Amino acid sequence: MVAKRSLTSLNSILTKFHAGYFRISLSLGGQALWWKTLIESPTHDVTSALRRLLCTLPSSAFLALWSLALFTLVLLSLLYLLRCLIADFLHPVRVNYLFAPWISWLLLLQSAPFVAPKTPTYLVMWWVFAVPVVVLDVKFYGQMSVIGNLVGAQAAANMGWKERAVCLFSLGMVHYLVLFVTLYQRSGGDRLPVLLRPVFFLFFAAPSVASLASEFMVGTFDTASKMLFFLSLVLFTSLICRPTLFRRSMRRLNVAWWAYSFPITALALLSTNYMHLLLALSVLVYLFLTFFTLLNSKMLLPDNDPIIASLLIS
Amino acid sequence: MEKNIINTEIAEQGSPEVPSLIRYISSNEIAGFDTSDTQLPRPTAKGSEAISPEREHDESAVIHHQRKLSISISMPLCSEEAQLQPLDTIIDDGIPISSSQSGTASSSHPQPSKCYSQPMPEGHEHQEADNHPGIKAFKDKRFDSFKTWSGSLNRKLSILRRKRQRETPQDVNNNSRSTDRPLPVHRYYDALEGPELETLRASEETVLPQDRKWPFLLRFPVSSFGICLGVGSQAILWKAIATSPSTKFLHISLKINLIFWFISVALTATVFTTYLLKIILYFEAVRREYYHPIRVNYFFAPWVSLLFLAHGVPPSVTKDLPNALWYILMTPILCLELKIYGQWMSGGTRRLSKVANPTNHLSVVGNFVGALLGASMGLKEGPIFFYAIGLAHYIVVFVTLYQRLPTNETLPKELHPVFFMFVAPPVVASMAWASIQDSFDYGSRISYFIGLFLYFSLAVRVNFFRGFTFSLAWWAYTFPMASTASATVRYANEVTNVVTKTLSVILSLMSTLIIAAVLVSTILHALVFKDLFPNDHAIAISHGKRRPEKKCLALGYTSHDSVEIDLEASTPLPNGREINLHSI
Repeated sequence: MVAKRSLTSLNSILTKFHAGYFRISLSLGGQALWWKTLIESPTHDVTSALRRLLCTLPSSAFLALWSLALFTLVLLSLLYLLRCLIADFLHPVRVNYLFAPWISWLLLLQSAPFVAPKTPTYLVMWWVFAVPVVVLDVKFYGQMSVIGNLVGAQAAANMGWKERAVCLFSLGMVHYLVLFVTLYQRSGGDRLPVLLRPVFFLFFAAPSVASLASEFMVGTFDTASKMLFFLSLVLFTSLICRPTLFRRSMRRLNVAWWAYSFPITALALLSTNYMHLLLALSVLVYLFLTFFTLLNSKMLLPDNDPIIASLLIS
Repeated sequence: MEKNIINTEIAEQGSPEVPSLIRYISSNEIAGFDTSDTQLPRPTAKGSEAISPEREHDESAVIHHQRKLSISISMPLCSEEAQLQPLDTIIDDGIPISSSQSGTASSSHPQPSKCYSQPMPEGHEHQEADNHPGIKAFKDKRFDSFKTWSGSLNRKLSILRRKRQRETPQDVNNNSRSTDRPLPVHRYYDALEGPELETLRASEETVLPQDRKWPFLLRFPVSSFGICLGVGSQAILWKAIATSPSTKFLHISLKINLIFWFISVALTATVFTTYLLKIILYFEAVRREYYHPIRVNYFFAPWVSLLFLAHGVPPSVTKDLPNALWYILMTPILCLELKIYGQWMSGGTRRLSKVANPTNHLSVVGNFVGALLGASMGLKEGPIFFYAIGLAHYIVVFVTLYQRLPTNETLPKELHPVFFMFVAPPVVASMAWASIQDSFDYGSRISYFIGLFLYFSLAVRVNFFRGFTFSLAWWAYTFPMASTASATVRYANEVTNVVTKTLSVILSLMSTLIIAAVLVSTILHALVFKDLFPNDHAIAISHGKRRPEKKCLALGYTSHDSVEIDLEASTPLPNGREINLHSI
């Protein structure tokens, strides 16, 4: 009897689970990379105070964060493997989130505390995580696929692989161009459900990650990186100026809320050279989402998930 | 027809006072009609009933009402005259004459007519006295009190509306609400047509009179700033020619730049002042221009004009501009961009796939002009910021316009002067990038060659630009041409040979000839033909709802598809109209 109940509950969880939940691991991976970047960044006049503050924290704090990100990603990956019996492959929008686990793995690889770049372990793991991105590229292309290419380019540049980094970066940028134009050309029929409006924030994640990748490839924050950063900053400001767009989707906690965190974290990674308001905003958004998710763990798998409903309808 | 007959009869009776009298009759009739709409549950029937008594009025009745006016006094209602008073000051009619005329005109409406009893005796006295100081004192007092009265009048009207909304049925509430809301974007597409979306469809009516010329400010469109863009870019061109080594053989003096710059300053000040008056006195008209899908792009033009003045300033006037000036000029552009670009992206009724048109290039080119000016002033980060924004959104606009999406309504089959705006962003971007990088490198050349190609691509199709009567839109030729010439001069500095020098001379000459032709045409149409500023139907369309729209709105989400179907159904009309026009 107990076994039957556990099987029933597991099946229920799997039925409600979908690839969109990897937004959580994206957010955690982004935070881990941001913390590591800040700790390791060279001493700067403006950031020295903040850096000293972080150094006062025990190193185990970062290790705990990274471990939490790893645990979450492993858990989500296991659940998703079990879920593969139901095909996410066929959904036109959700298929983009198939890139999310690989992006999350690449983010964790870059921020790993005990794996140094330019070692065989790093090399093997980069291949393990980058090849699925390229395979999925050949299959379909979306917003997340652009981010996947750019994060892969960044990780490759970390190892000093100029050619592979440029290759992935070029793929990402060319397709981002198409996506950016298409973003402005959506017809009325493609209107997002209200609950999914937070994913608008993903629109400025791609130029942010592109700017980071460009900086890693060139070795300095040059004009191209600045232009991409400014573009993401304006898109971010444009969305911030429209709170009414997101008001209705904020009434009840939904897993789509996690779409806010990764783009802001990516923008914060860039902002170490410019402003520190976004740093605080990034941490606050992350803590806020974690707090509310823990408080409302039941809401993580709602019975009336609009995505599942749309899947069943189609 | 009957209204026209009545107007004709009145005109025949008192010919010297015809214009003001007829204007007031029309405006009062329209105002009364609107009032009856808000007050009564059946506006159409009541409106028709209200019209019929007017026909029965004869001269003796009018005289009788005038006598009554002199007896009754009603202070609160006098504030209604404050609404009409600004028209008087603008038209420059004598206050006493207009007061008596408006009293006569409004005799058919008992309630409004009472308010004119107050100024009648005073006006009469002033007419008898015939003293200029007295008239001036009268004007000043009226002007001050009218402002205050108009303010309190608006408050009273809003209070009355709330009361009526509570008392009257649901339909009337909808009507009153529709008058308060700004015009939705699809109303502009339903009511207007043509490449500039400013020609009224035959089935539509305006809320302002058709048979009269309106006050000048109501006929002064925001696209008039295109004149400032044209002359300002000429000042920049002649500064570049005079200061560039590759064009030294022409021995052009900086005095030409000085002359153009001062002309540009005078023109910009004039247009700014006029439009500022329009904002102050006719804010609703400005608001309707702002919601017009094409006119809204011209709201970037004032700031770009100021950037041109700053960039084209002669060295003899000032050598170094303060950095604060750049930030002051770019802030409103940034605010406008957050508004307009955000509307394109957020997928509402104003998304880019629906409202795309060549004038969108105006909203993009401001970024490059700002980057060009900032970089030439020695700034670094700000110009890169605006260059990035401009480049990203230029790609979006460029691709969207090339695709002519099925959801797009405004692009006509034939070309039009505003199509030359395709040329402006890439050539200005090439100069901006050259200033940012401090050399005309490959990025600048790629951008410049794109612009040059577009220029020639449009120039060889000169036939497509014929057949249009002259209008302010023709100033769209001048700014792109001058910018292309400036960029060519800049390019010739890097690659100096006979071809580039010749190209510089030819393009500069073409630019100057075009602006001379457009300027002469503008002066002729303004002073001789006097049709440069026709009645601006684009801002006078009504809120009038169609029954299909109500049904569509009631259906919820499906209303969007239905509305778009209606738009598609209405597209054959322009062809029919054009055929009729040609046959006429």
